[in-house]
Amino acid sequence: MFRIRFHGRGGQGMKTASRILGTAFFLEGYEVQDAPRYGAERRGAPIFAFVRADRRPIQERGIIRQADLVVVADDSLVPVPAADVLAGCDANTVLLINSFQSAEVWRQRLNLQGPILTLPAMEDVEDRAELPYVGAACAGAAAGLSGVIGQTSLEQAIAEELGHLGAAVIAANLERASNAFQSLSEQAGLVKPGRTFSAEGWQTPDWIELPFEQADVSAPAIHAGLTSEAIKTGAWRTMRPLVDYARCNRCWWVCSTFCPDGAIRVDEERYPQIDYDHCKGCLICVAQCPPHAISAVAEHLAAEGVES
Amino acid sequence: MNETAFKNVKSLPSSHLLGTGTPMCAGCGGLEALHEIYDVLGEKSVFVNAAGCMTLLAVYPFTPFRGSWLYTAMASAPAGAQGIRDALDILKQKGEIEEEEDLQVVTLTGDGAAYGMGLSATSGVIERNLDFLYICYDNEGYGNTGQQYSGATPHGAKTATSLGLSGFAGYKKPLFDIWAAHRPAYVATVIGAEPLDLARKIEKAKSLKGPRLIIALSPCPTGWDFDPKESVNIGKLAVKSGVWPLKEYVDGQVVHTKLPTRRLPVVRYLETQGRFRHLFEPERQEGLLKEIQQRVDEYWAAVTC
Amino acid sequence: MKRRLLTGNGAAAWAARLAGVDYVPAFPITPQTEIIESLANWIDRGEMPGRLVTLESEHSMLTAAGAAAATGVRVFSATSSQGLLYAMEMLYTVSGWRAPFVLVNVSRGLSSPITLEPDHNDILAARDSGFLQIHCATCQEVLDSVLLAYRLGEDNRVRLPVLVNMDGFYLSFTREPVEVPEAEAVAAFLPSFQAGEIRFRASAPESQAVAVLGGGPYSYFRYETHLAARIAIQVYDELADVFEQSFGRRHAAVECYRCEDADYLFVMIGSFATKARAAVDSLREAGWSIGLLRPRLFRPFPEAQVRRLLAGRRAVAVIDQNLSFGAGGVLYAELAAALYGEKAAPPVLASFVGGLGGRDIPPEEFYEIARLIRDAAERGETPPPRLLYTEAELRETRKLQAIAKVERAGLGAKS
Repeated sequence: MFRIRFHGRGGQGMKTASRILGTAFFLEGYEVQDAPRYGAERRGAPIFAFVRADRRPIQERGIIRQADLVVVADDSLVPVPAADVLAGCDANTVLLINSFQSAEVWRQRLNLQGPILTLPAMEDVEDRAELPYVGAACAGAAAGLSGVIGQTSLEQAIAEELGHLGAAVIAANLERASNAFQSLSEQAGLVKPGRTFSAEGWQTPDWIELPFEQADVSAPAIHAGLTSEAIKTGAWRTMRPLVDYARCNRCWWVCSTFCPDGAIRVDEERYPQIDYDHCKGCLICVAQCPPHAISAVAEHLAAEGVES
Repeated sequence: MNETAFKNVKSLPSSHLLGTGTPMCAGCGGLEALHEIYDVLGEKSVFVNAAGCMTLLAVYPFTPFRGSWLYTAMASAPAGAQGIRDALDILKQKGEIEEEEDLQVVTLTGDGAAYGMGLSATSGVIERNLDFLYICYDNEGYGNTGQQYSGATPHGAKTATSLGLSGFAGYKKPLFDIWAAHRPAYVATVIGAEPLDLARKIEKAKSLKGPRLIIALSPCPTGWDFDPKESVNIGKLAVKSGVWPLKEYVDGQVVHTKLPTRRLPVVRYLETQGRFRHLFEPERQEGLLKEIQQRVDEYWAAVTC
Repeated sequence: MKRRLLTGNGAAAWAARLAGVDYVPAFPITPQTEIIESLANWIDRGEMPGRLVTLESEHSMLTAAGAAAATGVRVFSATSSQGLLYAMEMLYTVSGWRAPFVLVNVSRGLSSPITLEPDHNDILAARDSGFLQIHCATCQEVLDSVLLAYRLGEDNRVRLPVLVNMDGFYLSFTREPVEVPEAEAVAAFLPSFQAGEIRFRASAPESQAVAVLGGGPYSYFRYETHLAARIAIQVYDELADVFEQSFGRRHAAVECYRCEDADYLFVMIGSFATKARAAVDSLREAGWSIGLLRPRLFRPFPEAQVRRLLAGRRAVAVIDQNLSFGAGGVLYAELAAALYGEKAAPPVLASFVGGLGGRDIPPEEFYEIARLIRDAAERGETPPPRLLYTEAELRETRKLQAIAKVERAGLGAKS
């Protein structure tokens, strides 16, 4: 059975990618299961979707823990703990990252046993939340790597899944998917159908007896305020607001008041300080700042700037 | 009111459609209003009922209705009306039933359902512009369970859950205004003790399309504690004292159908009922009586038509 | 017949469309929304006739559904979890109106704490409501079961509403290949609703759902409803044959997967049962004599079939995705009741609770369950009920409790 996971951000089309790939497998005569993982499907937030394909009816269900192929649509997600991109990756897992950086860089960075490939399928766009056609490209790449999906099935799958969007959108997606498909032609078949589970031997589950605990402990209550600050929603951000303090007129309230997340604090000098751990990148501050002292830069570029 | 078949009391029907033999209390003001309404409405109707005194109108195998009836639950009788109305429309549209098989869909609830639990369902059907008639028999408390206070209970009334010296601390909810704020086709207050006014209003409601809602104040010998024979007298006093304004909302306007030129003092109404006896004895509670009168006066001071 | 990829929600919507439903009272709730969105869009675009009305609550939705069914149209609705519970008064109420319709429930765990992920406490809360219950394991079954449910509920011997259940996420949002039958084939299997005397008409006064005084008539009406539900077992079996002749797929009241000669059985309902099937395959390959028993029909409960299929086994593991607080697994109790007095009852009937709130049950847990019941059979004693819960999961929960500022002093010993 093929087990394939797509990781991306809300808005990047991972559900579409899984559906295109699922339909392409199906057109090749495979039994298929595809599903998005719904949850915090907010724009920019990490999400994933998955596909199972087999020659026999599929009995397995739910999230794929150990995938044969993991496709990452946005390389900035790789280091984000909440995205859990590398979950279950082992020597048999092919990791395909949509990235301008080389596969070699990623190999050194991640130190994984399995093969790592890159797919520079990104358009030159600032805002990664609006990466066009990346879902189709990821599906095309995965189809190519499986080695069992022909280009005709891939194209038909795109036409079926995106049919409601009109001919122009289909054509553009077809082109990106075909490019990705062909760019990996030398690697066709690199992804192999994964293991079948065996009951010859298994790791005994570490089951425990849940201890009785009184309601003051065991009721689902949070006994403190502000605990949500442990959630680093900055990982959702694809565009970063930057304050030009030379332009800031120290109005003291506009950006800070309108920030829905309360992620802008005004300091004693009446300058705004943005909490990048939590700023989701909505850019209301950019839109509202009276002297236009806040500008938006692509998060992946800003992050690289910080690193270098 | 123009073009009415009910020119005067003599034009009211003298033979009646609603059957006898129901288990409603002797002297029930709600049943009186219902049978007057049914005479005008006619038997081509289906009553969708919510939990309340009138749930017991149809007790297997007895029904006083010539037409149909569906008991639902306390909160959702208007939604039951929605289901039947929609289904009848679908059947007509598909040509599966003839026009003459169609029914007027009528929701029948007490004040407990109308003022409280069923208010959200009522708001929903008005918002969806359901073509139906809603009749609330309002006896100002949860009567079927022994007259505990409800959202319809008047200030100061003694109920099984407001037995203190001051009676019920809250104020009767302005259901007429709440309904009218939704801008339905028609809203009216009626009382069985004023049958001509009632008949004309039901006649008008029947002629309109969309949500039409009626509140019938229902003097309740059991819950209000009075001799059953006084039921109509007390109903008349409710109108004459200004406690129960007879009015209608139509086309965005509220019009009073009876403007009492010389209102009787409210005490004349209150003193007829055991539920207000604590206002008069052992000591007369002047403060409370004054407040009740004042509220009625304030209401009428704002009335222009 | 066209085979295509559909989610469980999509399959339910397609079934409603193919069944030619007249009326869809609706209210949105995750994970059911795709069903009513699909129907609303099809109706808006004129691709299917019918009328969809969004009410202001599930309680009203069920009232409108029952009232419309009692007026004689074919009704479909769908809900989930809290919505099913909010409608619960009306579930019990409308079943007594003896007017059939189909309600799809997309199973989701119940509050508190609130969750979006599936288990079966919602649907089992409706166990005694008078709605018949069909539990699906695949998206195909969702489509087929809705069609079957109309035939079953509308059968004159039955005349009861039917709940068709699928698991949230695992079926509702998951696409699988589904054979969508042709409209003509469906029309042949399921003709339009012949409501007969289920009606409100000017020419035929009808008082429905009236009060009764006294336990005598009350018991009569209630027990007759019970007998109608009991007859539904036989009717279901007949319809399963007709369905198979019409569409080539068999949906027995009780699925028996590789269990003819099995010494050991898993018993489950819902989509996780396919995981059990996979485990059965692996265990069979490793030499085990094991199978799966899956009641599809849960109300009425086909206990004669269940009893017959369980008789003579060495040990049975019942895996409940639900929890009756203070008692344990609901399916387990049902099976135990069915087996009482059966001479060849399996000596070991073991209870496992797992998959609560969408918690996965991985293959090794099925294998371990198999080992536990085999060992129990050898010892001749039934093991105590077990929650499928690992030390690693408790460690994770402890981390959350630390953030929630739970007093560590109160935590149990095994943390």
